[in-house]
Formats: sequence, structure tokens, C-alpha cells
Amino acid sequence: MKLLVVEDEASLLQSIIEYFTQEGFLCEGAMSYQQGIDKMEDFQYDCVILDINLPGGSGLQLLKHLRQNKKSEGVIIISARSSLDDKIAGLDLGADDYLTKPFYLSELFARVKALIRRKYASGSDVLEMSNLRIDLLLKTVSWANQQVFLTKNEYDLLVFMLTNKNRVVSRQAIAEHIYGEETDNLASFDFVYSHVKNLKKKLKEKGCGELLQTVYGLGYKLSI
Amino acid sequence: MNKTLEQKNTRSLLIWLPIVLLIGSILFYVMLTFQAHHMQEKQLELKLQNVWKAYSSDTESMPMHMRGEYDINQVSRVAAPLSDEPRDTSLYYRETGQQVNFQILTRQAEWRGDSYQVTTYVSSKEISHLIIKVFFAEIVIFLFLLLGIVIVNRRSSRLLWQPFYNSLKKAGAYDVVRNPNLKLEEQTGITEFNQLNSELTELIEKVNKVYNNQKQFVENASHEMQTPLAIIRSKLEFLINDPALTERTASLLGDITAANERLSQLNKSLLLLAKIDNDQFPEQNQVNFSHVLEKILHNYQQHYEDFPLLSKSIQLDIIIVANVSLVEILLSNLVGNAVVHNIPEGYIKVQLDANKLVIENSGYPISGDPEALFERFKKGDDASKTTGLGLALVKEIARLYQLKIQYHHQNRVHRVTLFLT
Repeated sequence: MKLLVVEDEASLLQSIIEYFTQEGFLCEGAMSYQQGIDKMEDFQYDCVILDINLPGGSGLQLLKHLRQNKKSEGVIIISARSSLDDKIAGLDLGADDYLTKPFYLSELFARVKALIRRKYASGSDVLEMSNLRIDLLLKTVSWANQQVFLTKNEYDLLVFMLTNKNRVVSRQAIAEHIYGEETDNLASFDFVYSHVKNLKKKLKEKGCGELLQTVYGLGYKLSI
Repeated sequence: MNKTLEQKNTRSLLIWLPIVLLIGSILFYVMLTFQAHHMQEKQLELKLQNVWKAYSSDTESMPMHMRGEYDINQVSRVAAPLSDEPRDTSLYYRETGQQVNFQILTRQAEWRGDSYQVTTYVSSKEISHLIIKVFFAEIVIFLFLLLGIVIVNRRSSRLLWQPFYNSLKKAGAYDVVRNPNLKLEEQTGITEFNQLNSELTELIEKVNKVYNNQKQFVENASHEMQTPLAIIRSKLEFLINDPALTERTASLLGDITAANERLSQLNKSLLLLAKIDNDQFPEQNQVNFSHVLEKILHNYQQHYEDFPLLSKSIQLDIIIVANVSLVEILLSNLVGNAVVHNIPEGYIKVQLDANKLVIENSGYPISGDPEALFERFKKGDDASKTTGLGLALVKEIARLYQLKIQYHHQNRVHRVTLFLT
């Protein structure tokens, strides 16, 4: 998978590239409007992560340029401007998703994965790890062909963890993923704990042991 | 005691004008009496001369006495010297049974070697009647004058102060948030009021400018903070994935993550507040309030395993005209507040009808002014769980759509009422 990240903040750009490279993406970075245009014209990407405030022009203009040139890359906007207008303008111009800063890399990664799945129907709609199998179309979960019945929150949590498998995902990132970013949800971190507990219990009943591990109270990790 | 300008003006007129008029009438009375006496003296003098002239030319036929007019008495030469001043006396008239006051003047005169005392009389009755009548006429005139002055003064001061009242009314309607445009008359016809209006206009322009700058500043500052916050978040995600993580560093990272999360949340809420202030939610639709409320309650029940016992009576299809995102934020914060500040095994009661939304929940007693909970950064007792901006957002949104909000707390029961009409 080829990914272009257009972000003028070097430190953030480096984080994003590092994260996606670890997940097996081929990443390139651009730090200005012009660099972004050049890269897009020269190469084909599967997905573009686009900041709106760029030196030399707006990310929205870049998006316009991209769509006018009939390029069909999936685009996710990352912006410090969370204004609804920007969001609507971005989506109108053909962005596929919109994420407001500050975001979690695990969330960005989940969004990119979901976008690629939707956009290219590439791979399958099934996530698998060991005996764990999630059908994203039917929204069913099974372990060794035994169906596991989950609530919506537990299902969302498991999909998120499986997407970010073998990584420690913070409780805060999970809370934001489940509850959305709009509400004042500091209290919700406590509730993540109970969702994880229930999910663990249900998985254990089907005999899949310590699939979901707690890491020093910081977060959780899904690995074999 | 504060009174209106007009009352104050009339009051001082009513206090001071009668005093001035009273002093005036006393002066008038004194002068009137003085003039009347002077006139009487002259009359007596003239009469005396006339009587004496008549008597000395025609002694035989003229009587020596005429009651109420004159007396001529022959006296010995050694009579005591007489006062030159007129004196008061009174005569009794049997026919009318009246005692009549007179002024008399007596002079000594010589004629053909004999001495005479001539006394003339002038009645004081008429003159004192005249004085009293004139004085009363004057009192009536003064009373009319008083009334007239007060009325004219009120009228003219009302006219005079009209531009001031106009400015006052407009300045009263001014609101830095809702009604920041103040158009005051530049030419009122009165220099001081022109000056007042121009000073006011300038002052308000300054206030508006400062307010707008501040709003803009909050929004810009919040925006600028988003990127560093994003960087911190991303670096923390790498750190917690570090294989060399120890328990000690993990606990430090946990604290940093929590603090950073709180900072992000605060920043987000501040940004939202600034945006509402900056009127960046102009699009309004008919929002199905009942529907949004049900959805939010459902979401919260889904998300929170120990959601308090919920009883609700929600009237269907209550519509309000507002921005749908703001309505969601409003309701989400109200419901969230009732959930977060609840007690274990507590309850939430939600009631919605066409007039109002009532959300009641069990909770811990709170200290301090309940209204203050709606101020920015005012928190209840579980400070770490909230940013202190949730209810401020609720207040701001309610203010934007001119909905009245009321908070009531009694016996560990908290009730928020939002009036929809």
C-alpha cells in the first residue's frame, strides 16, 4: 500500500510515517503545497493524508487539484480546524474522511484501513488473527468457528484492537474511538475498562485465553 | 434615594420656589404696608392744612368739630409740645355699633394771638382692607406662578433631555454579544449630548473591538494548540509501544497521557465555546428535539454499563429551530452531566413536553452557588472527571437560542430545567 502524507509539521509527519511504515505501508511525506502537488502528479498512491493549513496553499486546494486531475486516491483530511464548514467543504470536494487534530495514530490507522477496504474492496471484508475471525459485513465474530455474541461497543472495540493488533492502544484512544470526539468524555475512560473486561470474559468462554492483554494500566494489546 | 431627573428637578423646584415666593410675598407685604402708611401720612398732612386754611378764613360758620374728620381745640399757650407723628386711635359709632380705627395727626397753630390744636382723622379701615385684598391677590398670583413654572419646567426639561433619553434607551439595548451595533444620533442640537454620544460610540467601538479580539484570540490560540497536542499524542503512542517499557515509566506515561487527554478535551471545549461566541453555527433547521434526545439517551445507555435507572416521559416530535450539532452538544452535555455526577444505584428522570425539558438525577450534595456551575471552569466536587466546560457550553447554546435554563438542587436531587418557549 502506498501512502502520501502531506503535513507541514515535521515532527507529526515523522510520527505518522513511522507508524504506517511499521504497519507495512510504503510512505512518502510532503511538507508544502507545492511538494504535495509534485508528488501527486508523479506517483500513484492508495491513500493521501492531507493537512489543510500548508505553506504555499490550502490542503483543500490540493484536494481540488487532485480531483480535477481525475485522481481517485482515497483522501483523509487531518486538520486543526474542526469547524463544521471545513468538514463539509472537505467532504464536498471529495475527501473520504475527516479527522480533527489532535488525533490518535491508532485512530488514523483504523480510518485509513477502513477507507482502503471501502474504496478498493481490496482484500476481504474479514479480519483474521489465529482462530479469531471478524466478518465486517455481517458484523459477526467467531473464535474457532464458534460465534461470539458481542454488544455494539464490544464489537467496535474488538475491530479497533484487531486493526491495531500487536500494538499497545491507550485507553484514551479506545474511548475516543468508541464515544466519538465531540463530547466532554473524560469520564468515559473508566467505562472502557468495563467493556474490555466483558469482552475478555466472552472471549475466554470460547477458550481463547489471553488474547487481549492489559499493559501496565496504560492500555491494551491484542496479540497471540 | 434615586429619583428620575424629572422628579428630582420638580422636587427641588417645589422646595425652593415656595421659599423664594414666600420671601417675595413678605417683602411685598412690608413694602405695601409702608407705602400705605406713607400715603396716609400725606393725606393727613394735606387734610390738616386744608382744614386749618378753611377755619382761619371762615371761623364763624365752620364748626370746631366734625366726627371722624377733624377737631379744633383752643388751648393755652403752655400746652405740652406735641408729637409730630401720626397716632392710632378708634372711635365708636353708635349708629352702626362699630369701633372704627383711625389715624390722627395733631398740630399746633396760632391765629390772632390764640393757640389751637388741630387734629385730622383718616380712617385706617379702608386702607387695611386694601392691603389684605392686594396681599391675597398676590398670593393667588404666586400660586399660579408656582404651578406655571413647574409645568413649563417639566415640559422644557423633558424636551431638553430627550436626546439623552434616546441615547439611554439605545445604550440599554446594547449587548456586546447579541446586539453590538449602537447607532447614536451625532447631531442632537445640544453640544453636551453630541459629546456624550460621540464618547459613548467610541467607548462601545472599543468594547466591541476588545471583545472581538478576545474571541478571535481564544479561537486562534485553541487552533494553534491542536497541532502540538497531536504531536504529543503521537509520540506517547510510540512510547507506550516501547519494548523497554518498565512499570515505573509506564506509570509516568499513564499520568502524562491522562493530563494530555484533559488538555485536549479542554481545548476542544474552549474552541467550541469560541465558535458559538463567534457565531459560526449560522445554519439552522427544524430539529426534532424528541428524536435527538432519545438518540442521545440510547447512546449513553449503550456506552455506560452502569447507566443509572432511567425513567422518561418524552413527548413525540417536539420541534425547535436550531443548529442540529449544537442541539446534540447541548443534550449530550446535560445527559452526560446527569450520568457522571450520579451516585451508584442512582436514577435519572427525563421529561419533555412542548414547554420544557426537565432532567432530574440523584447525586451528591453540592456546595456553593448552583448557578455558578454554569460558569466556565466552575466544577462540582469530582473535579478530575470533567473539564468544567460542559455546563458552560450548555449555557452558551441556551443563550444563543434564547432558551431559559434553571438549575435546582435539593435533598441530593439535582434538576435542570430547559424552557423551550
